[in-house]
Amino acid sequence: MSNQPVVLEVKNLKKHFPIKGGVFKTTQGYVKAVDGISFSIKENETFSIVGESGCGKSTAGRTILRLLEPTEGEVWFNGENLYDIKKREFRKKRKDFQLIFQDPYSSLNPRMTVQELVVEPLLTHNLCTKKEATEKAKEMVERVGLSEKHLTRFPHEFSGGQRQRISIARALIVHPKLVILDEAVSALDVSVQSQILNLLIDLQEEFELTYIFISHDLNVVKHLSDRVGVMYLGQMMELAKTEDLYNEPLHPYTQALLSAIPNLSTSEKKERIILQGDVPDPSNPPSGCPFRLRCPSAHDRCVSENPVFQEVKDDHWVACHLYDEKNS
Amino acid sequence: MESLLELKDVSIDFQSKRKSFNIIKNINLKIDRKMKYGIVGESGSGKSLTSLAVMNLLSDNLSIGQGEIILRTDEEKVLNHLSKKEMRNVRGEDIAMIFQEPMTALDPLYTIEYQIIEVLRYHRKMSKKEMREKAIAMLTSVGISRPEKIMNDYPHQLSGGMRQRVMIAMALVTEPKLLIADEPTTALDVTIQAQILDLMNDLTDEHGTSILMITHDLGVILETCDRVAVMYAGQVVEESTVKNVFDNPQHPYTQGLLKSIKTLGDRSEKLYSIPGNVPTPDEYQELGCRFATRCPFAFEKCFNEEPPAFQVGSDQTSKCWLHDEEANPNE
Repeated sequence: MSNQPVVLEVKNLKKHFPIKGGVFKTTQGYVKAVDGISFSIKENETFSIVGESGCGKSTAGRTILRLLEPTEGEVWFNGENLYDIKKREFRKKRKDFQLIFQDPYSSLNPRMTVQELVVEPLLTHNLCTKKEATEKAKEMVERVGLSEKHLTRFPHEFSGGQRQRISIARALIVHPKLVILDEAVSALDVSVQSQILNLLIDLQEEFELTYIFISHDLNVVKHLSDRVGVMYLGQMMELAKTEDLYNEPLHPYTQALLSAIPNLSTSEKKERIILQGDVPDPSNPPSGCPFRLRCPSAHDRCVSENPVFQEVKDDHWVACHLYDEKNS
Repeated sequence: MESLLELKDVSIDFQSKRKSFNIIKNINLKIDRKMKYGIVGESGSGKSLTSLAVMNLLSDNLSIGQGEIILRTDEEKVLNHLSKKEMRNVRGEDIAMIFQEPMTALDPLYTIEYQIIEVLRYHRKMSKKEMREKAIAMLTSVGISRPEKIMNDYPHQLSGGMRQRVMIAMALVTEPKLLIADEPTTALDVTIQAQILDLMNDLTDEHGTSILMITHDLGVILETCDRVAVMYAGQVVEESTVKNVFDNPQHPYTQGLLKSIKTLGDRSEKLYSIPGNVPTPDEYQELGCRFATRCPFAFEKCFNEEPPAFQVGSDQTSKCWLHDEEANPNE
């Protein structure tokens, strides 16, 4: 995987939402949902972004696809800066990027049949005639594990897992290059979740897809991804290959996060790092390192200075002052 | 010693004008004093309904068809035969409940102080000052650092983890015998989940409270519980100590569930999955085992006759025909 070419490169991406208030609706401050994250994704790779709610992982996904306009930064896709393209032109590019959402109950139009839902992206992008589209829809629906007879039905007739299959069919029918899965299996039950994960892995190989997998479920992320980025309060705290991150987490936040996963073995009792307090309000983040208020090893420097996101080991990036000395 | 809460052959039926069907069928559970008991199952398995039945909070179109829910505190009470007024004295006093979504369980129009004191006002004869002191002490014990300030706050001013702490404080302020926790950490982040589970364990140990933990997360069960019942499609399919169920699962559903979780994280292996979907109540089979259509070991008898709960080993039951030597074709 490591010698694959880079397809997507995110450079210093920022998305700040203004807080409006007062008599004249003036801007009173900003919620820094995404505050300068950088990473690159290789072809056919699964890159995961994990973090707790409110850390900006979904905003990052949406901003990369320009569903939200960025405040600052660049996203290079196959040698082209996506943010330089005019809005109108960008629409044509959209077929290369697809998004699958968490909630299959609200992401499918309840008034459209499965047939109409799956055909829609093909017709919107003018990729083929109606007749061809119908054929393709049939193929695609079967590929994701539904059958032809389901085509005339409406979303409410399906269970959560089946609906997620429809969302997948709809996303993949235009043969995208990059698929962003935003908590795509979080709403599903364990037994169904594993079916969908298997399907996603199979389809990735078959359609040569690159995935950005956004999730809070660390077990699922471990199963699916090649590399993982950990976000906290709009910033990337650590980024590494999956094995490296799970076996040897460097950042105190990652260590706490991993130790908080309930373990599934009856024999060993896991030593647990219990973090104090909550995630701070993103409109009023602490000075210096965003994690310092909950960090067990915070020191003076963390208050005054935001640590730089740097490569500490081979392909293992971390933003923490604890690893500064080792470099200098 | 007699158990604190016992469910004897409890069934719950659904009725509407047009149709009626059985949802929960013949549940038997025994929760001892100080025991931490878990019910685990996927959505639609009936685990929440079971807990609501214990609290007598079922909606009008649901009713307990047969069976008895017995609570033994100082005296023995059959909860499903109590009047509304008698039941009100049980709720909050003997049994308290925590829900999944603390924002919807707390009243947005009242301060935290009012909501905690409300419980005391109903169940205890105390002066205003005593109640306030008790509430502050309770908030401190659930790990809230500035309880005097929080007392005057409204629920929307608190974070999810804080709200759940307040819920726990409200539930335990009367020192109930049993705490029912319905997915108490599902809406929370993992780091907060770890805090809350830790807190619940400490507090219930301290007061000698039993817990009935309802969850879909086997990890949470392993962290907190002594015994566990695995539910599928409105029935308890397997019941034993947590250790037995995890290390030596007997029912094919439990085996599948554990297998699909344990292979998670290992990319070299294909993730194990149980085929098909969880059935909805109108799809439940009249005859036979409700898991038969998804079961890899199903044979003819499974589709025709419902299996009883077989005793496996000394302390484990499993509702599966595979344990019957006469019926099992593989033996």
